[in-house]
Amino acid sequence: MDIRSEVVSILDEVLSLNGRTKAFVLDTPLLGALPELDSMAVVALITTLEERFGFTVDDDEIDGSVFASLASLIDFVHHKLGG
Amino acid sequence: MAAEAFFLPASPGQRFALLHSPEAAGQVRGAVVYVPPFAEELNKSRRMAALQARAMAVAGYVVLQIDLLGCGDSSGELVDASWEAWLADVQLACDWLQQRNVAPLWLWSHRAGCLLANEAANRMRHPVDQLFWQPVLSGRQYLQQFMRLRLAAGLAGGESRGVMDELRQQLRQGQPVEIAGYMLSPTLAGGLEKAELLLPHRSGRVEWIEISSRPDAGLSPAAAARLTQWQAAGQQVRGTVVNGPAFWQTSEISECSELLPATLLAMQQGAVP
Repeated sequence: MDIRSEVVSILDEVLSLNGRTKAFVLDTPLLGALPELDSMAVVALITTLEERFGFTVDDDEIDGSVFASLASLIDFVHHKLGG
Repeated sequence: MAAEAFFLPASPGQRFALLHSPEAAGQVRGAVVYVPPFAEELNKSRRMAALQARAMAVAGYVVLQIDLLGCGDSSGELVDASWEAWLADVQLACDWLQQRNVAPLWLWSHRAGCLLANEAANRMRHPVDQLFWQPVLSGRQYLQQFMRLRLAAGLAGGESRGVMDELRQQLRQGQPVEIAGYMLSPTLAGGLEKAELLLPHRSGRVEWIEISSRPDAGLSPAAAARLTQWQAAGQQVRGTVVNGPAFWQTSEISECSELLPATLLAMQQGAVP
């Protein structure tokens, strides 16, 4: 599974970005930079990642640094998948 | 197709209700009660529920949508609501519709509404057919996700540590908590937490529809496991996957057009083989 493209497509869908994620690079900032990423969207994102990748996120793993950039979010998924 | 909006007398107060009926006075195919999801998912899914209710009416079903106690258009505030009060509201809607229609009853529900509908079905004297849209399987997990809205709100400012424990403690002490503008009472949180999508004992057929944004997706592993378990126990249940956005949680109001015909097809096709 291509984790990066999966994460990007989840971001695009949950945040209703209509393909804007095509221009995203690893350094693209997320939390605080994307107005669509409000608290509802963060929770929806976590839930969708859990469902799509089949892992469970604990409350104390949810930290601002995870959602800082596309790279940090992809790293988090890799970490959860045991990579 | 005809639409009517009115208030149902309830206790306490009244409940806002919306009725869609077929235009022709011919035979009604089924009497459907819609049990809505919770909080923001209720708002996000209003459009799809409205489109589906109209499509059902055109296809010959009479559809009653009820606004539960404290959900905006009905009496009371959310903090007054409890799981039992909502179960009573579902029963009220079913009774009202059945007094006016002899057609077989369907309970159509979405997300956390499926937990309510399923429990309401179990308490009924007669078997009732059920239609689930992306059902929530565990109330406990759902409550956790809902409480995470407070956690997520503090993320940018780095104020998220210990938020979940604080909320749980407040509820344990019998105090309501405010999450994303919704005042959640300990009673409602307790009822939701205990709710599980268990094998329906009083259901006829269960049509279980999941929505996935991946065109080639199958049922989610959790849903597939539950379906297998129910089938093994002799329950008639069929799972269907529809391609489209998760309209109950997307940032913008979105539509899943494939869901409308897929829902009608699920209801109209015969018994599960």
